[in-house]
Order: sequence, then structure tokens, then C-alpha cells
Amino acid sequence: MSDANDTILKVEDLEVRYGNVVAASEISLEVRKGEIVALLGPNGAGKTSVLKAIMGLIKPSKGTVEYTDEKGTRRIDGVETHMMARMGIANIPSLETVLPRMSVEENLEVGGRFLFKSDMPRVRKRMETMLERFPILAERRKQLSGTLSGGEQRQLAVARGLMAEPKFMLLDEPSLGLAPILLRELFEMLRDIKNDLGVDMLIVEQNVNKALEIADRAYVMRIGAIDFHGPAKEVAQSERLKDAYLGS
Amino acid sequence: MIGYIAEQLFIGVATGAIYAIIAVGLNLIFGTMNVLNMAHGSALMIGSFGVLLFNYVGDRYFGYTNFWLACVCGLIMAFFTGLLVERLAVRPMKGNWWNTKIATIGMAFILENLVTVLTEGRPQLYPRPFEPTYYVILGDLDNPGLWLVEISNIHILLIGMSIVMVAGMVWFLYRTTTGKAVRVVSQSQEIARCIGIDVKRSIVVGFGVSATLAGVAGILNGVTFGSTYSFIGLQLLLKGIVVLIVAGIGNMRGCLWVGIMLGIIESMSVAFGESTYRDFFSYGGMVLILIWRPWGIFGEEGRVTREV
Repeated sequence: MSDANDTILKVEDLEVRYGNVVAASEISLEVRKGEIVALLGPNGAGKTSVLKAIMGLIKPSKGTVEYTDEKGTRRIDGVETHMMARMGIANIPSLETVLPRMSVEENLEVGGRFLFKSDMPRVRKRMETMLERFPILAERRKQLSGTLSGGEQRQLAVARGLMAEPKFMLLDEPSLGLAPILLRELFEMLRDIKNDLGVDMLIVEQNVNKALEIADRAYVMRIGAIDFHGPAKEVAQSERLKDAYLGS
Repeated sequence: MIGYIAEQLFIGVATGAIYAIIAVGLNLIFGTMNVLNMAHGSALMIGSFGVLLFNYVGDRYFGYTNFWLACVCGLIMAFFTGLLVERLAVRPMKGNWWNTKIATIGMAFILENLVTVLTEGRPQLYPRPFEPTYYVILGDLDNPGLWLVEISNIHILLIGMSIVMVAGMVWFLYRTTTGKAVRVVSQSQEIARCIGIDVKRSIVVGFGVSATLAGVAGILNGVTFGSTYSFIGLQLLLKGIVVLIVAGIGNMRGCLWVGIMLGIIESMSVAFGESTYRDFFSYGGMVLILIWRPWGIFGEEGRVTREV
């Protein structure tokens, strides 16, 4: 498929603890250039903990995280989240998706403003590109984002992440709380973003079918550890996937 | 009679302006940290005493005093009081609402008692930038009658300052990059981190700006009443909280209107009643308004506080 030099994100032997409780351990995974990788697993498997540890929102108790871009490879565990954003890693959280007391436009603006401080024309230009890509946001550009529907807020969160012109995007449960009818649209949108803008992704997701439709590879977690992984098509047909969700 | 009412009105607007500046500072911290900073009054008091300290030291050792330089000194001291409060009473509490509240109350009493000891608890005379001059804006000074209305340059200064402060605050929060960071942090610290904001730094900036505003209020209050004392901060803090809650948390312009309203209610209750009724009307008014709209006059419906 691709050789090891194409690795963008490499997680090795990561462990996350909350006090004495181990949420996840011995997590090793990688994302390569041009890939969407899904991290799947039932509720409570520790997926979100892993993602937060990668992003530096919680401190891992063990293990390393390496990130590679055109400037080379470096360790990012222990680096503060806001510094990662400046390296070109976008993070789309699942619960708090938008800044409710700011308009759609201002949500987009702040997505770029703190990274390209002195370059407001660049931020504005990027904003227009985003509004073209997400027509529903263009329609609501002056509206407070707290008044948008759940699906629109999710689009806005992704668009705000893209404002940073990222190389790599981490998404935490993008389907959370969305009506089934919106799911197809959302995942197609993510695939288009990868194809058009060349943003590689690591997606944490509970909705296995939808995630596997767009993912290249998948890791399946079960009770705080990675149970197995492989190309998305193989994972989709695997008996072990059912076991992970139904228990055996 | 009209002249008397008008004069009371100007005094009301001027003191209300001070309440508004206090509330705007509280609002900034409540908005960013979801913390009611009970030590806000200490920054106010330190700011007002900073002016006295500058003039005292200047007079004693250099034979030089200057009101405006003293103000700069007061504001710098207020700014650092804010940073001190953030470092000692807010950051170590790691976002715990009750602990922060108690710790900031503790800071307030430590600072105010310290100044009480240093000043031996005596009220201090306050310098003025210029002697008050009264301008006739209506009627005839030689033939006063019913219609003589005068305003002093001190009151013009106070009212002008409060408008500038509130406008400056709105500009800072809505137009500057640092101000926008503060607003993002107030809505979600997680999103703030994810879009490249140094959250710790934003909080420090928020406390510094807020405390400087408190210093401005402290100096204006000293100028208005011609004196200051070590517990001035606690007394004015309560008024600031009234304005903040009645205006609705998160609304800067609302603080200006409610602050001025409170000042007018107070001066009118003094004009038509007795000074002892002052707090009865201001706090009573607050209770009535909160029964009518628990989220404040200008606040968002349903947003009383996010967490208690």
C-alpha cells in the first residue's frame, strides 16, 4: 500500500489513566498520507480518551505520539493543544461543536485568526472559500451559531477546523446526535474534503457502517485496547467486529 | 427645585458610571472564567490608593506631585493586583466554582486589611485633577429662580470616562485578536485550544484588563467623593454585582445602562427621601427586576448562570 515514510501520525504504546482507572492501554496506531483512518468501538471502549490524549487535551500516562509534516517528524505528546493547532492539526470536538454566542461568520473567522494573525485578507479569503463549500452556512452567515440545527452546527465545526488550512484532522464522533438522514451527507462531505483539499483524517466513530464506507483503514477498540485492525473492507466483513460490539 | 433635581441627576449618572465600569470588569471575568471575582473590589481599592501612594512618595522625597502620573501608577498597581489574584486565588483552584469564590473573598480581606493596617483605618483625602468648576447649562446665574441648572467639569469627566471605558471594552472584545480570544475562551475552553488560543494567557489578560478597569473606577470614585478608605472595594463590589446581575451576565452595553439607572435611582432616593433609603431602593429594585426576569434585563433568557 504505502511505505512507512508516508506516516503522518504514529501513536505507540499509549496509555490513558483517570486516577487509578486505565481508560486505554497499549494503543498503537498510525495514519498515512492520503488516508482516512477510523477508530471504532462500542461505548466506553476508550476511543475518545485516545483521541484526547493525542490532541493533548488530557495527558497520556505512557507512550509516544509522533507527527510528520514537511518540516520533519517530531514528538507531540506533551505539546500543548494550541501549539498543535499551529502545526496544522485540526481537531473537531464532539460535544461542544460551535461557539454559540458568535455568528457563523465569526466562528469561521476565529478558526483562522489565531493562526494567521497578521494576515486577515488570507483569513477572509479562506472564509469565502468555506462559505462556497458549505452553502447552508453561507445562507446563515449572520445568524448566531447557537441557533443552528445539529447538522448545521456539525458542518460549521468542520468548516471552522478547515479555516486553519490543516494537513490533518482529528474528528471525535462526528455523527453524534445527528438524525440518520443527515449521516450520509456528513460522511460524503468528509470524503470530499479529503479528496479535494488533501486533508488526512483520524475519525473516532460509533457508527461503524458509515465510518467504514469512507475510511481506508480501521482500528477496532474493545475495553480499553485495540482488538484488531485492517483495511476498511476487511474490517467491515470481519466476525470480530460483531464480537466487539455484541460481546462474546 | 428643577436645578436641584438636575444636579442630583448628574451626580446619579456620574456615580452610576462608576458602577457600570465595575460591572464591566466583573462581566469580563464572569464571562471568561465563569467565576465571580470577589477580589475585584481589592483591585479597585489598590488602584485608588496607588494614586495616594504616588503623591505621598513624590511629595515626601521629591517634592513633586502630579495627578495624572499618579493615576498611571494606580492603574499599574491595580493591573498587578489582578494578576496576583489570578495566580494565587484562581489558577490553583482549577475551575472549581465554590473554591474560587471563597479564595477570592479571602484575597479581598487580606488586601483590604493590609491597607487598613497601613492607613490605620483612617479615610484618606483624595486629590483632584482640577478644582470643580460649575457651568450653567440652563437659566441665569444672576436670576436663579426655578430653572437654574449647573453641571461641574468633574461630572463631565466621570460621565465621559465611563462611556469611553465601556466603548473601549466593546472594541477590545469585538475587534481585537486578544479580545476575540477572551470571548472564545468564555464560550468553550476546549474549542479555544483547538483553534490555537493559549487559554492560560487569555485568562491572565482577562484578569489584567478587568483589574485595570477596577482601578479606573477606584480613582473616579475617589475624585467624586474627595476621599477613599480601605473597605471602599467591598462596598462598591456589591453595587457592581447588582448591576452585573440585573443587566444580565455577558452583556457589556447592558452594564452601562443599568449602572447609570442604579446611580439615578440612588441619587433620586436621596433627593426625595433620606440617604438611609438609598440602599433600600437600589437592592429592592434589584429583587423586583430579578423576580420579573431572572436572567437580567439584557441577558439571554435561560442563562442565569451556567453553573452554581
